[in-house]
Amino acid sequence: MNRTITVTVNGEAYERTVPIRLLLVDFIRDACGLTGTHIGCSYEGRCGACTVLIEGRALKSCMKLAVQADGKQITTIEGLRQGDKLHRLQETFRRYHALQCGFCTSGILMNAVDFLNENINPSEEDVRRALVGNLCRCTGYSHIVEAILAASAMRHGLKPVPPPAETGDAP
Amino acid sequence: MYPAPIEAYFAPKTIEEALRHRVDAGDDAVFIAGGMSLMQAMKARLMAPRALVDLNEVEELSGLARGPRGVTVRPLTRYRELARTTALRGALQAIGDAAATVGDRQVRNAGTIGGSLCWNYVASCMPNVCLCLDATLVLTSLAGGERAVPIDEFLIGPLETALGDDELLIEIKFPPSSDRGTGSAYRKIGATVDGLPIVGIAALIEVDEAGICMDARIGVGGVLPTAQRFDGVSALLRGRPGTDAAFAEAARAAADAIETQTDHLASAHYRKVLIRTLGRDVLAEAHARAMGW
Repeated sequence: MNRTITVTVNGEAYERTVPIRLLLVDFIRDACGLTGTHIGCSYEGRCGACTVLIEGRALKSCMKLAVQADGKQITTIEGLRQGDKLHRLQETFRRYHALQCGFCTSGILMNAVDFLNENINPSEEDVRRALVGNLCRCTGYSHIVEAILAASAMRHGLKPVPPPAETGDAP
Repeated sequence: MYPAPIEAYFAPKTIEEALRHRVDAGDDAVFIAGGMSLMQAMKARLMAPRALVDLNEVEELSGLARGPRGVTVRPLTRYRELARTTALRGALQAIGDAAATVGDRQVRNAGTIGGSLCWNYVASCMPNVCLCLDATLVLTSLAGGERAVPIDEFLIGPLETALGDDELLIEIKFPPSSDRGTGSAYRKIGATVDGLPIVGIAALIEVDEAGICMDARIGVGGVLPTAQRFDGVSALLRGRPGTDAAFAEAARAAADAIETQTDHLASAHYRKVLIRTLGRDVLAEAHARAMGW
Protein backbone atom coordinates (compact mmCIF):
# COMPACT_ATOMS: atom_id res chain seq x y z
CA MET A 1 0.00 0.00 0.00
CA ASN A 2 2.88 2.34 0.85
CA ARG A 3 6.06 2.99 -1.01
CA THR A 4 9.14 5.06 -0.28
CA ILE A 5 10.01 7.46 -3.06
CA THR A 6 12.51 10.23 -3.68
CA VAL A 7 11.35 13.12 -5.79
CA THR A 8 13.50 16.14 -6.55
CA VAL A 9 11.39 19.26 -6.37
CA ASN A 10 13.00 22.58 -7.30
CA GLY A 11 16.43 21.00 -6.85
CA GLU A 12 15.73 19.62 -3.38
CA ALA A 13 15.33 15.86 -2.82
CA TYR A 14 12.25 14.82 -0.81
CA GLU A 15 12.28 11.22 0.43
CA ARG A 16 8.87 10.23 1.76
CA THR A 17 6.86 7.07 2.35
CA VAL A 18 3.50 7.56 0.69
CA PRO A 19 0.37 5.56 -0.14
CA ILE A 20 0.46 4.35 -3.75
CA ARG A 21 -2.82 6.10 -4.45
CA LEU A 22 -1.53 9.51 -3.36
CA LEU A 23 -1.82 11.99 -6.20
CA LEU A 24 1.31 13.92 -7.10
CA VAL A 25 -0.37 17.25 -6.38
CA ASP A 26 -1.00 16.19 -2.78
CA PHE A 27 2.59 14.99 -2.46
CA ILE A 28 3.80 18.41 -3.59
CA ARG A 29 1.42 20.33 -1.34
CA ASP A 30 1.31 18.15 1.79
CA ALA A 31 4.52 16.10 1.81
CA CYS A 32 6.78 18.84 0.45
CA GLY A 33 4.79 21.76 1.87
CA LEU A 34 4.86 23.60 -1.44
CA THR A 35 1.37 25.06 -1.57
CA GLY A 36 1.90 27.32 -4.58
CA THR A 37 0.64 24.42 -6.69
CA HIS A 38 -3.14 24.71 -6.45
CA ILE A 39 -6.16 22.43 -6.65
CA GLY A 40 -8.89 24.32 -8.51
CA CYS A 41 -11.22 21.45 -9.41
CA SER A 42 -11.75 18.23 -7.48
CA TYR A 43 -8.74 16.42 -8.98
CA GLU A 44 -10.62 16.06 -12.26
CA GLY A 45 -7.82 17.27 -14.50
CA ARG A 46 -10.02 20.10 -15.71
CA CYS A 47 -8.68 23.34 -14.29
CA GLY A 48 -4.90 23.14 -14.82
CA ALA A 49 -4.14 24.98 -11.54
CA CYS A 50 -1.94 22.05 -10.43
CA THR A 51 0.27 22.19 -13.54
CA VAL A 52 3.96 21.60 -12.76
CA LEU A 53 6.98 20.68 -14.83
CA ILE A 54 7.99 17.03 -14.67
CA GLU A 55 11.34 16.55 -16.37
CA GLY A 56 10.71 19.92 -18.00
CA ARG A 57 7.25 19.14 -19.41
CA ALA A 58 4.02 20.73 -18.20
CA LEU A 59 1.66 18.18 -16.71
CA LYS A 60 -1.32 18.42 -14.39
CA SER A 61 -0.09 16.94 -11.15
CA CYS A 62 -3.54 15.55 -10.26
CA MET A 63 -3.22 13.26 -13.28
CA LYS A 64 -0.17 11.44 -11.90
CA LEU A 65 0.45 9.38 -8.81
CA ALA A 66 3.30 10.49 -6.59
CA VAL A 67 4.96 7.07 -7.01
CA GLN A 68 5.18 7.74 -10.74
CA ALA A 69 7.44 10.72 -10.00
CA ASP A 70 9.97 8.58 -8.09
CA GLY A 71 13.45 9.61 -9.25
CA LYS A 72 12.11 12.48 -11.34
CA GLN A 73 12.86 16.21 -11.37
CA ILE A 74 9.91 18.50 -10.74
CA THR A 75 9.69 22.26 -10.94
CA THR A 76 6.85 24.09 -9.21
CA ILE A 77 5.99 27.79 -9.08
CA GLU A 78 8.26 28.14 -6.04
CA GLY A 79 11.24 27.08 -8.18
CA LEU A 80 10.62 29.47 -11.03
CA ARG A 81 12.49 32.54 -9.85
CA GLN A 82 16.24 32.55 -9.60
CA GLY A 83 17.29 34.05 -6.27
CA ASP A 84 15.69 37.48 -6.05
CA LYS A 85 15.04 37.64 -9.74
CA LEU A 86 11.57 36.72 -10.91
CA HIS A 87 11.16 34.65 -14.06
CA ARG A 88 10.48 36.80 -17.13
CA LEU A 89 6.91 35.44 -17.27
CA GLN A 90 6.33 36.33 -13.62
CA GLU A 91 7.51 39.87 -14.42
CA THR A 92 5.23 40.25 -17.42
CA PHE A 93 2.27 38.75 -15.53
CA ARG A 94 2.75 41.46 -12.91
CA ARG A 95 3.31 44.27 -15.40
CA TYR A 96 0.36 43.31 -17.63
CA HIS A 97 -2.00 42.66 -14.73
CA ALA A 98 -2.45 39.08 -15.91
CA LEU A 99 -4.14 37.94 -12.70
CA GLN A 100 -6.94 39.00 -10.45
CA CYS A 101 -7.58 36.43 -7.72
CA GLY A 102 -4.39 34.58 -8.69
CA PHE A 103 -5.66 31.08 -8.00
CA CYS A 104 -5.02 29.79 -11.51
CA THR A 105 -1.83 31.77 -11.99
CA SER A 106 0.78 29.28 -10.83
CA GLY A 107 -0.56 26.59 -13.16
CA ILE A 108 -0.75 28.99 -16.07
CA LEU A 109 2.80 30.17 -15.48
CA MET A 110 4.18 26.61 -15.41
CA ASN A 111 2.32 25.77 -18.61
CA ALA A 112 3.53 29.00 -20.23
CA VAL A 113 7.16 28.26 -19.31
CA ASP A 114 6.99 24.91 -21.12
CA PHE A 115 5.06 26.50 -24.01
CA LEU A 116 7.64 29.25 -24.60
CA ASN A 117 10.46 26.72 -24.29
CA GLU A 118 9.14 24.89 -27.32
CA ASN A 119 7.64 27.78 -29.29
CA ILE A 120 10.20 30.32 -30.41
CA ASN A 121 7.84 32.93 -31.81
CA PRO A 122 4.21 32.10 -31.04
CA SER A 123 1.24 33.97 -32.49
CA GLU A 124 -1.66 35.18 -30.36
CA GLU A 125 -3.67 32.21 -31.62
CA ASP A 126 -0.87 29.82 -30.58
CA VAL A 127 -0.91 31.31 -27.08
CA ARG A 128 -4.70 31.10 -26.77
CA ARG A 129 -4.66 27.49 -27.90
CA ALA A 130 -1.87 26.71 -25.43
CA LEU A 131 -4.14 27.88 -22.59
CA VAL A 132 -6.97 25.43 -23.32
CA GLY A 133 -5.99 23.30 -20.32
CA ASN A 134 -5.96 26.17 -17.83
CA LEU A 135 -9.14 27.75 -16.54
CA CYS A 136 -9.16 31.36 -15.36
CA ARG A 137 -12.53 32.65 -14.17
CA CYS A 138 -11.50 36.28 -13.53
CA THR A 139 -9.50 37.80 -16.33
CA GLY A 140 -11.10 36.68 -19.57
CA TYR A 141 -7.56 35.68 -20.59
CA SER A 142 -6.76 38.87 -22.52
CA HIS A 143 -4.09 40.11 -20.13
CA ILE A 144 -2.68 36.60 -19.71
CA VAL A 145 -2.25 36.30 -23.48
CA GLU A 146 -0.63 39.75 -23.63
CA ALA A 147 1.76 38.89 -20.80
CA ILE A 148 2.87 35.66 -22.47
CA LEU A 149 3.34 37.42 -25.82
CA ALA A 150 5.29 40.17 -24.07
CA ALA A 151 7.61 37.61 -22.44
CA SER A 152 8.12 36.00 -25.82
CA ALA A 153 8.96 39.34 -27.45
CA MET A 154 11.35 40.31 -24.65
CA ARG A 155 13.19 37.05 -25.11
CA HIS A 156 14.03 38.17 -28.64
CA GLY A 157 15.16 41.58 -27.40
CA LEU A 158 12.01 43.16 -28.82
CA LYS A 159 10.04 45.84 -27.04
CA PRO A 160 6.61 44.39 -26.31
CA VAL A 161 3.36 46.33 -26.66
CA PRO A 162 3.17 48.11 -23.30
CA PRO A 163 0.17 47.48 -21.03
CA PRO A 164 -2.59 50.12 -21.18
CA ALA A 165 -1.83 51.26 -17.63
CA GLU A 166 1.61 52.43 -18.78
CA THR A 167 0.38 54.34 -21.84
CA GLY A 168 -2.49 56.15 -20.20
CA ASP A 169 -5.00 54.24 -22.35
CA ALA A 170 -6.50 52.42 -19.42
CA PRO A 171 -10.20 53.15 -18.93
CA MET B 1 -12.56 12.09 -7.16
CA TYR B 2 -9.73 10.09 -5.59
CA PRO B 3 -8.32 6.65 -6.43
CA ALA B 4 -9.27 3.74 -4.18
CA PRO B 5 -6.32 2.24 -2.26
CA ILE B 6 -3.84 0.48 -4.55
CA GLU B 7 -1.88 -2.46 -3.17
CA ALA B 8 1.05 -2.67 -5.55
CA TYR B 9 2.85 -0.55 -8.11
CA PHE B 10 5.49 -1.71 -10.56
CA ALA B 11 7.59 0.36 -12.95
CA PRO B 12 9.31 -2.19 -15.22
CA LYS B 13 12.00 -1.25 -17.72
CA THR B 14 11.38 -3.91 -20.36
CA ILE B 15 8.40 -5.44 -22.14
CA GLU B 16 9.15 -8.85 -20.68
CA GLU B 17 9.35 -7.50 -17.15
CA ALA B 18 6.06 -5.65 -17.71
CA LEU B 19 4.30 -8.81 -18.91
CA ARG B 20 5.66 -10.80 -15.97
CA HIS B 21 4.45 -8.24 -13.44
CA ARG B 22 1.05 -8.21 -15.12
CA VAL B 23 0.72 -11.99 -14.84
CA ASP B 24 2.11 -12.14 -11.28
CA ALA B 25 -0.16 -9.34 -10.09
CA GLY B 26 -3.26 -11.27 -11.11
CA ASP B 27 -6.68 -10.32 -12.36
CA ASP B 28 -7.07 -6.94 -10.74
CA ALA B 29 -3.90 -5.47 -12.20
CA VAL B 30 -3.84 -3.02 -15.09
CA PHE B 31 -1.20 -1.51 -17.33
CA ILE B 32 -1.00 2.26 -17.16
CA ALA B 33 0.45 4.33 -20.03
CA GLY B 34 -0.11 8.11 -20.18
CA GLY B 35 -2.94 7.71 -17.71
CA MET B 36 -5.08 10.47 -19.22
CA SER B 37 -8.17 8.23 -19.26
CA LEU B 38 -7.26 5.55 -16.74
CA MET B 39 -6.43 8.00 -13.95
CA GLN B 40 -9.80 9.69 -14.51
CA ALA B 41 -11.55 6.31 -14.30
CA MET B 42 -9.64 5.43 -11.13
CA LYS B 43 -10.38 8.78 -9.48
CA ALA B 44 -14.07 8.43 -10.34
CA ARG B 45 -13.91 4.87 -8.88
CA LEU B 46 -15.10 3.40 -12.15
CA MET B 47 -11.99 1.27 -11.79
CA ALA B 48 -10.21 0.20 -8.63
CA PRO B 49 -7.21 -1.85 -9.72
CA ARG B 50 -5.36 -3.77 -7.02
CA ALA B 51 -2.05 -3.27 -8.81
CA LEU B 52 -0.64 -0.95 -11.46
CA VAL B 53 2.02 -1.91 -13.96
CA ASP B 54 3.38 1.42 -15.20
CA LEU B 55 4.69 1.32 -18.78
CA ASN B 56 6.22 4.79 -18.78
CA GLU B 57 9.76 3.57 -18.06
CA VAL B 58 9.72 0.92 -20.80
CA GLU B 59 11.85 2.64 -23.43
CA GLU B 60 11.31 -0.02 -26.09
CA LEU B 61 7.60 0.88 -26.12
CA SER B 62 8.27 4.45 -27.25
CA GLY B 63 9.19 6.08 -30.55
CA LEU B 64 8.44 5.60 -34.22
CA ALA B 65 10.33 4.46 -37.29
CA ARG B 66 9.76 4.61 -41.03
CA GLY B 67 10.99 1.62 -43.02
CA PRO B 68 10.46 -0.03 -46.40
CA ARG B 69 7.52 -1.97 -44.99
CA GLY B 70 5.74 1.08 -43.70
CA VAL B 71 5.73 3.10 -40.52
CA THR B 72 5.82 1.53 -37.07
CA VAL B 73 4.61 3.62 -34.16
CA ARG B 74 5.24 2.28 -30.70
CA PRO B 75 2.31 2.60 -28.29
CA LEU B 76 3.90 4.84 -25.64
CA THR B 77 4.61 7.55 -28.21
CA ARG B 78 3.00 10.69 -26.85
CA TYR B 79 0.67 13.06 -28.70
CA ARG B 80 3.23 15.83 -28.41
CA GLU B 81 5.75 13.82 -30.39
CA LEU B 82 3.18 12.58 -32.93
CA ALA B 83 2.10 16.19 -33.53
CA ARG B 84 5.66 17.38 -34.11
CA THR B 85 7.40 14.56 -35.95
CA THR B 86 8.17 14.83 -39.66
CA ALA B 87 8.10 11.02 -40.01
CA LEU B 88 4.30 11.05 -40.43
CA ARG B 89 4.11 13.71 -43.14
CA GLY B 90 2.31 12.67 -46.31
CA ALA B 91 0.10 9.62 -46.21
CA LEU B 92 -0.07 9.47 -42.40
CA GLN B 93 -0.50 13.15 -41.66
CA ALA B 94 -3.97 12.51 -40.20
CA ILE B 95 -2.23 11.12 -37.12
CA GLY B 96 -0.41 14.42 -36.61
CA ASP B 97 -3.61 16.41 -37.19
CA ALA B 98 -5.39 14.41 -34.52
CA ALA B 99 -2.50 14.37 -32.04
CA ALA B 100 -2.11 18.16 -32.27
CA THR B 101 -5.71 18.73 -31.16
CA VAL B 102 -6.18 16.15 -28.41
CA GLY B 103 -7.26 17.68 -25.10
CA ASP B 104 -4.77 20.36 -24.15
CA ARG B 105 -0.98 20.83 -23.97
CA GLN B 106 -0.70 19.02 -20.66
CA VAL B 107 -2.67 16.05 -22.00
CA ARG B 108 -0.57 15.95 -25.17
CA ASN B 109 2.61 15.92 -23.07
CA ALA B 110 1.47 12.73 -21.34
CA GLY B 111 -1.19 10.92 -23.38
CA THR B 112 -0.19 8.12 -25.74
CA ILE B 113 -1.52 6.68 -28.99
CA GLY B 114 -1.46 3.13 -27.60
CA GLY B 115 -3.33 4.13 -24.47
CA SER B 116 -6.06 5.72 -26.56
CA LEU B 117 -6.40 2.65 -28.79
CA CYS B 118 -6.59 0.21 -25.87
CA TRP B 119 -9.10 2.40 -24.03
CA ASN B 120 -11.24 2.86 -27.17
CA TYR B 121 -13.49 5.58 -25.83
CA VAL B 122 -16.32 6.55 -28.17
CA ALA B 123 -15.37 10.23 -28.24
CA SER B 124 -11.71 9.81 -29.13
CA CYS B 125 -9.52 10.44 -32.16
CA MET B 126 -6.84 7.76 -32.43
CA PRO B 127 -9.05 4.67 -32.93
CA ASN B 128 -10.78 6.40 -35.82
CA VAL B 129 -7.57 7.68 -37.42
CA CYS B 130 -5.87 4.28 -37.15
CA LEU B 131 -8.97 2.61 -38.61
CA CYS B 132 -8.93 4.93 -41.61
CA LEU B 133 -5.18 4.44 -42.12
CA ASP B 134 -5.54 0.65 -41.96
CA ALA B 135 -3.27 0.00 -38.98
CA THR B 136 -2.28 -3.44 -37.78
CA LEU B 137 -1.71 -3.86 -34.06
CA VAL B 138 0.91 -6.22 -32.69
CA LEU B 139 -0.08 -7.69 -29.32
CA THR B 140 2.05 -9.90 -27.14
CA SER B 141 1.70 -12.00 -24.01
CA LEU B 142 3.93 -14.39 -22.09
CA ALA B 143 1.62 -17.31 -22.67
CA GLY B 144 0.60 -16.71 -26.27
CA GLY B 145 3.49 -14.83 -27.84
CA GLU B 146 2.91 -12.24 -30.54
CA ARG B 147 -0.11 -11.85 -32.76
CA ALA B 148 -1.01 -9.23 -35.35
CA VAL B 149 -4.59 -7.95 -35.29
CA PRO B 150 -6.11 -5.68 -37.97
CA ILE B 151 -7.52 -2.53 -36.38
CA ASP B 152 -11.09 -3.26 -37.49
CA GLU B 153 -10.97 -6.53 -35.52
CA PHE B 154 -9.29 -4.86 -32.55
CA LEU B 155 -11.92 -2.15 -31.99
CA ILE B 156 -15.00 -3.91 -30.67
CA GLY B 157 -17.19 -1.42 -28.82
CA PRO B 158 -17.23 1.34 -26.20
CA LEU B 159 -14.18 0.74 -23.96
CA GLU B 160 -13.86 -2.70 -25.49
CA THR B 161 -11.07 -4.15 -27.65
CA ALA B 162 -9.67 -7.52 -28.66
CA LEU B 163 -6.79 -7.06 -26.23
CA GLY B 164 -6.55 -10.04 -23.87
CA ASP B 165 -6.17 -9.54 -20.11
CA ASP B 166 -2.52 -10.57 -20.11
CA GLU B 167 -1.73 -8.96 -23.46
CA LEU B 168 0.23 -5.83 -24.22
CA LEU B 169 0.06 -3.71 -27.36
CA ILE B 170 3.67 -3.36 -28.56
CA GLU B 171 3.46 -1.97 -32.10
CA ILE B 172 1.08 -0.06 -34.35
CA LYS B 173 2.01 -0.69 -37.97
CA PHE B 174 0.85 1.35 -40.95
CA PRO B 175 1.13 -0.06 -44.46
CA PRO B 176 3.60 1.52 -46.88
CA SER B 177 2.25 4.02 -49.40
CA SER B 178 3.81 6.37 -51.87
CA ASP B 179 3.77 9.73 -50.15
CA ARG B 180 3.68 11.23 -53.60
CA GLY B 181 0.09 10.67 -54.52
CA THR B 182 -1.34 9.79 -51.11
CA GLY B 183 -2.66 12.24 -48.54
CA SER B 184 -4.60 11.97 -45.30
CA ALA B 185 -6.23 14.45 -42.94
CA TYR B 186 -8.26 14.56 -39.73
CA ARG B 187 -10.59 17.11 -38.17
CA LYS B 188 -13.14 17.01 -35.40
CA ILE B 189 -15.93 19.07 -33.93
CA GLY B 190 -16.18 19.05 -30.14
CA ALA B 191 -18.11 21.06 -27.58
CA THR B 192 -14.95 23.04 -26.76
CA VAL B 193 -11.67 23.85 -28.55
CA ASP B 194 -9.63 20.62 -28.81
CA GLY B 195 -12.38 18.85 -26.84
CA LEU B 196 -13.63 15.31 -27.24
CA PRO B 197 -15.09 14.81 -30.72
CA ILE B 198 -18.86 14.88 -31.18
CA VAL B 199 -17.83 13.78 -34.63
CA GLY B 200 -14.29 13.29 -35.92
CA ILE B 201 -13.46 12.53 -39.54
CA ALA B 202 -10.31 10.95 -40.92
CA ALA B 203 -9.80 10.62 -44.66
CA LEU B 204 -7.22 9.14 -46.98
CA ILE B 205 -7.04 9.71 -50.72
CA GLU B 206 -4.73 8.31 -53.37
CA VAL B 207 -4.43 10.16 -56.69
CA ASP B 208 -2.66 9.58 -59.99
CA GLU B 209 -0.39 12.14 -61.60
CA ALA B 210 -3.29 14.00 -63.19
CA GLY B 211 -5.02 14.34 -59.81
CA ILE B 212 -7.66 11.69 -60.54
CA CYS B 213 -8.74 9.79 -57.42
CA MET B 214 -7.56 6.18 -57.41
CA ASP B 215 -8.69 5.18 -53.94
CA ALA B 216 -10.28 6.79 -50.89
CA ARG B 217 -11.37 5.90 -47.38
CA ILE B 218 -13.16 7.75 -44.64
CA GLY B 219 -13.23 7.00 -40.91
CA VAL B 220 -15.87 8.42 -38.60
CA GLY B 221 -15.41 8.71 -34.84
CA GLY B 222 -17.75 9.84 -32.08
CA VAL B 223 -20.36 7.27 -33.15
CA LEU B 224 -21.52 4.07 -31.46
CA PRO B 225 -20.51 1.33 -30.96
CA THR B 226 -17.02 2.33 -32.11
CA ALA B 227 -15.22 4.22 -34.90
CA GLN B 228 -16.47 3.19 -38.32
CA ARG B 229 -14.84 3.13 -41.72
CA PHE B 230 -16.84 3.80 -44.86
CA ASP B 231 -15.06 2.38 -47.89
CA GLY B 232 -17.98 3.33 -50.15
CA VAL B 233 -16.29 6.66 -50.84
CA SER B 234 -13.74 4.76 -52.92
CA ALA B 235 -16.31 3.61 -55.50
CA LEU B 236 -17.79 7.13 -55.58
CA LEU B 237 -14.50 8.93 -56.10
CA ARG B 238 -12.49 6.46 -58.17
CA GLY B 239 -11.76 7.80 -61.65
CA ARG B 240 -12.99 11.30 -60.81
CA PRO B 241 -11.02 14.51 -60.37
CA GLY B 242 -10.99 15.92 -56.86
CA THR B 243 -13.75 18.50 -56.95
CA ASP B 244 -15.84 19.94 -54.16
CA ALA B 245 -18.93 18.39 -55.73
CA ALA B 246 -17.33 14.93 -55.72
CA PHE B 247 -16.23 15.26 -52.11
CA ALA B 248 -19.65 16.54 -51.03
CA GLU B 249 -21.31 13.57 -52.74
CA ALA B 250 -18.93 11.11 -51.08
CA ALA B 251 -19.38 12.66 -47.64
CA ARG B 252 -23.17 12.60 -48.08
CA ALA B 253 -22.98 8.88 -48.85
CA ALA B 254 -20.89 8.34 -45.70
CA ALA B 255 -23.43 10.27 -43.61
CA ASP B 256 -26.27 8.19 -45.08
CA ALA B 257 -24.45 4.91 -44.45
CA ILE B 258 -23.23 5.48 -40.91
CA GLU B 259 -25.63 5.13 -38.02
CA THR B 260 -25.43 7.95 -35.49
CA GLN B 261 -26.74 8.36 -31.97
CA THR B 262 -28.36 11.13 -29.97
CA ASP B 263 -26.79 12.12 -26.65
CA HIS B 264 -26.49 15.21 -24.46
CA LEU B 265 -24.03 16.83 -26.88
CA ALA B 266 -25.73 16.33 -30.23
CA SER B 267 -28.67 14.73 -31.96
CA ALA B 268 -28.26 11.84 -34.37
CA HIS B 269 -29.34 14.18 -37.16
CA TYR B 270 -26.77 16.83 -36.24
CA ARG B 271 -24.06 14.18 -36.24
CA LYS B 272 -25.04 13.30 -39.81
CA VAL B 273 -24.83 16.97 -40.78
CA LEU B 274 -21.35 17.08 -39.28
CA ILE B 275 -20.28 13.95 -41.18
CA ARG B 276 -21.48 15.63 -44.40
CA THR B 277 -19.84 19.01 -43.94
CA LEU B 278 -16.72 17.97 -42.07
CA GLY B 279 -16.35 14.94 -44.35
CA ARG B 280 -16.37 17.11 -47.46
CA ASP B 281 -13.70 19.41 -46.01
CA VAL B 282 -11.46 16.62 -44.75
CA LEU B 283 -11.65 14.77 -48.07
CA ALA B 284 -10.66 18.01 -49.83
CA GLU B 285 -7.75 18.49 -47.45
CA ALA B 286 -6.54 14.90 -47.88
CA HIS B 287 -6.77 15.38 -51.64
CA ALA B 288 -4.81 18.63 -51.50
CA ARG B 289 -2.08 16.87 -49.56
CA ALA B 290 -2.07 13.96 -51.99
CA MET B 291 -1.52 16.52 -54.75
CA GLY B 292 1.31 18.12 -52.81
CA TRP B 293 -0.52 21.46 -52.66
